[in-house]
Amino acid sequence: MRTLDWFVLVTSLVSIIAYGLYRSRGSDTVDRYLLAGRSMPWYAMALSIMATQASAITFISTTGQSYVDGMRFVQFYFGLPIAMIIICATAVPIFRRANIYTAYEYLERRFDGKTRSLASLIFLCQRGLSAGLTIYAPALVLSVILGWPERATTFLMGVTVITYTVAGGIKAVTWSDVQQMCIIFLGLVVALITVIVLLPAQVSFGDAVYLAGAAGRLNVVTTHFDWNDRFNIWSGLFGGTLLFLSYFGCDQSQVQRYLTGRSITESRLGLLFNAVAKIPMQFFVLFIGAMVFVFYLFIQPPVLFHQAELARIQSHAEFEPVANQYSQAFERRRQATLALVEAHHSGDPGAEHRHAANYRAAQHEIDAARTQAARLVEQTGGEKDFSDTNYIFLSFVTRYLPAGIVGLVIAVIFAATMSASSGEINSLATVTVVDLYRRYVRRSASDHHYVLASRWATLFWGVYAVAFAGWGKHLGPLIVAVNVVGSLFYGSLLGCFVVAFGFRRVRGTAVFIGMLAGEAAIFAAFRFTAIHWLWYNPLGCATVVATALLVTWLTPGGGVPAEAATPGMRQPG
Amino acid sequence: MPELPRVPDDPPPFLGSWRRIYVAVLIYLCLIIAGFYLFTRAYR
Repeated sequence: MRTLDWFVLVTSLVSIIAYGLYRSRGSDTVDRYLLAGRSMPWYAMALSIMATQASAITFISTTGQSYVDGMRFVQFYFGLPIAMIIICATAVPIFRRANIYTAYEYLERRFDGKTRSLASLIFLCQRGLSAGLTIYAPALVLSVILGWPERATTFLMGVTVITYTVAGGIKAVTWSDVQQMCIIFLGLVVALITVIVLLPAQVSFGDAVYLAGAAGRLNVVTTHFDWNDRFNIWSGLFGGTLLFLSYFGCDQSQVQRYLTGRSITESRLGLLFNAVAKIPMQFFVLFIGAMVFVFYLFIQPPVLFHQAELARIQSHAEFEPVANQYSQAFERRRQATLALVEAHHSGDPGAEHRHAANYRAAQHEIDAARTQAARLVEQTGGEKDFSDTNYIFLSFVTRYLPAGIVGLVIAVIFAATMSASSGEINSLATVTVVDLYRRYVRRSASDHHYVLASRWATLFWGVYAVAFAGWGKHLGPLIVAVNVVGSLFYGSLLGCFVVAFGFRRVRGTAVFIGMLAGEAAIFAAFRFTAIHWLWYNPLGCATVVATALLVTWLTPGGGVPAEAATPGMRQPG
Repeated sequence: MPELPRVPDDPPPFLGSWRRIYVAVLIYLCLIIAGFYLFTRAYR
């Protein structure tokens, strides 16, 4: 980091805090603090939803994913527009007309208090687990790349987020998200332009795209179905739709965004903007990763992108032959790549096939050398299942991008972390106060009291997130497990809301039993089967719906439509 | 906590109805998938 990078980074962070605090003026009632007085325009909600969803690791990982595996990850988002349409047609008008602060508050009106409380606790467990990791994962990557202590990056991100989130509530979060998304867009565009400019003079942009395609990095759509393959068009359309339905329909961190709209129309437009913009944005991020791959076809990349682990294994005798094999394979690949471009320009298909075969052979040797290096990391006391995918993009940024742009990209990572984290701690605080504190501790207090309680709850969840992130390194493989743990809960929540919206005859006890059965089914699948965790969501949802319908059918009088199905008929305490 | 005021439900600002907007988004999704498919084939 040079002086100009520091200037860009510090200016970005200070402006985020200052703008968030400036925009949060007047957040002195609970309606304004938790729902921004329901005054937000659609574009602010749209960018806030996008920012909350896109954590820093999304940018770090997605570019690395494209470098290693190509662009097919974008198919994961094909279900998003379908999910957004379903939510706009069902959840948005129901939640907005119910005049609620949280999605789970609606469940008490539709069912009963115990269903609301169970859903709230499931959300707090799931989102609480991920709150720390949202900060920890990018803090870890930044600390390795920049050589800063982990605690410094964690603390810097945490304090920044807590400052404006506690002070300004959802309004500060939303307007900061808008600014953060602008920084993110700017950073991504500058990064792409820079990587293209850095390509060798004899390689045009068209050549770069051709090479990325020839290297299998532009495999955007794969139509082949495989149960074990997470990224194909079918898993994207089916699994992705269900996942995004859960996320945008049942997760308070997203629901709270569109509850802040000044009308139902504004809320719908905010979601539909994401339906339209998200896929091109992910395509763009993945394309940057593909271009970074092309850049490294001409400039030799390190054997491993994790600098600390690379430095550690370099002292071992086994490393030298691996490094030699890697360098020789790289040179063969570079020659084959240049010959491939030449053959492409001359329009000679026979030569293209020949040089492509040479390229693939050299790439295979490079992959083998990297695998051996990764194995060496594990054998010499490094982490198990070592992968350096998350370090590829930032390693490129810090090595090759000019002064100022490095600071901008690091600011993007900070901005993405803060936007995701602020949304999480704000929604955790809202559920804590509205669904638990007001429901069970202080049923009727002054508006000022609940604003104060919300600020304390926000501070608590912010400090919790930073503290949990600080302990992240002690969790080891549990970090991977926590992602799986998140998928253990979404299915039941989705099933509960599917029953709430779609089956008017089902009452509270039936859906409560259904949620317990859904959780039992998911945990049984997790414990006793090899089913991939992506399928826990439909499994849990289907179990909740089936059990709730069965209990309703078996219960005397269970076929009578619930009175409280009409939103707002029964007010909770 | 105070009762929240009712929110207005206005018609969409374009295309006349929400149903038409949803259909437009679905057509957009089909077009983008088709575009990506052609892109994949072109650079395979």
